[in-house]
Amino acid sequence: MAHAVDTTFPDTIPRGKLNTRDLNAGQRLAVKYFSVAMLLFIAQILFGLLAGLQYLWPDFLYNKLDFNVNRMVHINAMIIWMLYGFIGSIYWLVEDEAGTELVGAKLGNLAFWVLTAAVTVVVAVFLLVQTGPGEHQSIWLINEGREYIEAPRWADFGIVAVVLVFFYNTAATFMKGRWSGISGVLVLDLIALAGLYLAGMFYSSNISMDQHWWWWVIHLWVEATWEVLVGCIMAWGLIKTLGARRKIVTTWLYIEVALMFGSGILGLGHHYFWIGTPEYWLSIGGFFSALEPIPLVAMVVHAVYDSGVHRFKNSNHPALAWLIAHAFGNFFGAGVWGFMHTLPQINLYTHGTQWTASHGHLAFFGAYATINIAMFYIAIQKWRGGVFMGSGIPHAWRWKWALALLNIGVLGMTMALLISGYEQSFVERALHGSTWAGYFEAQRSDWFVQGMVWRQIFGYVTAAGLVLLVWDLITIGKGETRPAEEPTATTVINSNETLQPSSA
Amino acid sequence: MSMMTEPVEAQQIMLAAMAGAMVVLFGAVYAFLFAWSKLHKRPVIMLAAYLSYLCLAAATVALAFALHLSGFWLIVVFVMLVGYLLAPHAIWHLCEGTHEPSTPHGTDEITSQPIPLEIKQ
Repeated sequence: MAHAVDTTFPDTIPRGKLNTRDLNAGQRLAVKYFSVAMLLFIAQILFGLLAGLQYLWPDFLYNKLDFNVNRMVHINAMIIWMLYGFIGSIYWLVEDEAGTELVGAKLGNLAFWVLTAAVTVVVAVFLLVQTGPGEHQSIWLINEGREYIEAPRWADFGIVAVVLVFFYNTAATFMKGRWSGISGVLVLDLIALAGLYLAGMFYSSNISMDQHWWWWVIHLWVEATWEVLVGCIMAWGLIKTLGARRKIVTTWLYIEVALMFGSGILGLGHHYFWIGTPEYWLSIGGFFSALEPIPLVAMVVHAVYDSGVHRFKNSNHPALAWLIAHAFGNFFGAGVWGFMHTLPQINLYTHGTQWTASHGHLAFFGAYATINIAMFYIAIQKWRGGVFMGSGIPHAWRWKWALALLNIGVLGMTMALLISGYEQSFVERALHGSTWAGYFEAQRSDWFVQGMVWRQIFGYVTAAGLVLLVWDLITIGKGETRPAEEPTATTVINSNETLQPSSA
Repeated sequence: MSMMTEPVEAQQIMLAAMAGAMVVLFGAVYAFLFAWSKLHKRPVIMLAAYLSYLCLAAATVALAFALHLSGFWLIVVFVMLVGYLLAPHAIWHLCEGTHEPSTPHGTDEITSQPIPLEIKQ
């Protein structure tokens, strides 16, 4: 059947081969970020598997590659690969959205190599130099000691400098070109992205105060600035893959940002329950955490409305499938698993147990990994010269199985960790009042151990999905000569009457 | 106003957690069925939507019971239930308002055209 060809991919571009020459400067930079993101994604899964094995066999690699190091690399690799993915995604879309060339491409390129070199050194230090007491010198050179953002102080300065370069590139490009709703929200969000990281860079000998500021980075990055960044990427992605109308997408981006800030900023309080902050945080955290599911209800109504009123025809099946996985993953991981244990009366038992790990696995994968993977597929389509990636592409089983295995793997780990987490909360916290004896009894209990075994099994399923994903990203569109389809949206008044076909 | 400090009883940890999860889950099912019913003009589905809302209300009551909520917090629970009931109506209304056909996608709401940078000496 004949299909409309996407005119954003001219016929002069050779199809089916990787063609960096025909990418714009921002996209060439994005490809570098995406490549490192994939390497770090692989590292995240590998170190996660090692840490998981150490739950089952505590002597495994003892004094060679200890659990604390594996866990630290597992989590830090996740945060950094997602950040690489976000930066790459913005560089990918910035010239298209601004309608002009990237400003400061050379500076952006330099920042990429500085960041990549710094990440390499930090990981090498994590793996090779993790002995001895923590002191002022080790904070600067080895490990800052703050969970999830353990990078030493020198690397902190590097991260802020790189994010500021990224901010300059993006904002200056929009200033040179044109502004849109998406770019306005994006640029404001990047100021917060760089600024909030500063809160995790100063030191206080008061542990409560230290934790107070540390959560500004962890919570406000993840539940505010990252969510808005993802909203911007999603908005642009829907326009590109489905032909959604800009006005509608932008309006909903504003609504999403308003709802998210209304609930998410003071939802920070749910991290302040047990760190020595005043009691009023229990009320604030509980109340605003209860508001956090509201944007999800709005999302459900809007998704049903859109799917019924607009008959979308998408131009990139794998990307759209991952965008749908993002919507579901965000809802279940952040919404259902989050609200399950966010109120203080429950959180008293679950905080810091495997229950939290269960929530973390599904929420990070659902909200952030999925949308980065969608962007990888959008990028590879153009990198191969704007090839056809609709229904019936050769070897489609690879991306479908990669999608299935990664989602089944993460969902399986989530359920297994939930079982272990419930046992841990009940035995260690409720029955034994958080004593050491309670901790060890919970760690030895049958349900806890069985949960950890199943977590490891589903970890292998996730790893198998990742192998397929890498294989598919390397090979998809290779030798394909058909041009990409044009995304279209047809507006329907009711189920029988078509009102207005619209296209790019 | 109580500070939400009285923990759930040990036997009710699972009840409280599951009730919390069901609040969000039934909230989404209610929103989904509501929108589906409006889209296809099927009153039977609307009935299922309101049944889901009743399940949501039951989960909320179970949660309030397990958390020992009282006074101000019961008012919050009531406001939340009203909010969940009305939110899909409001969002649907907003959807209809924002999806009025106008210009083709990708061209509206671009606020300015490319402007060359000028360097004043």
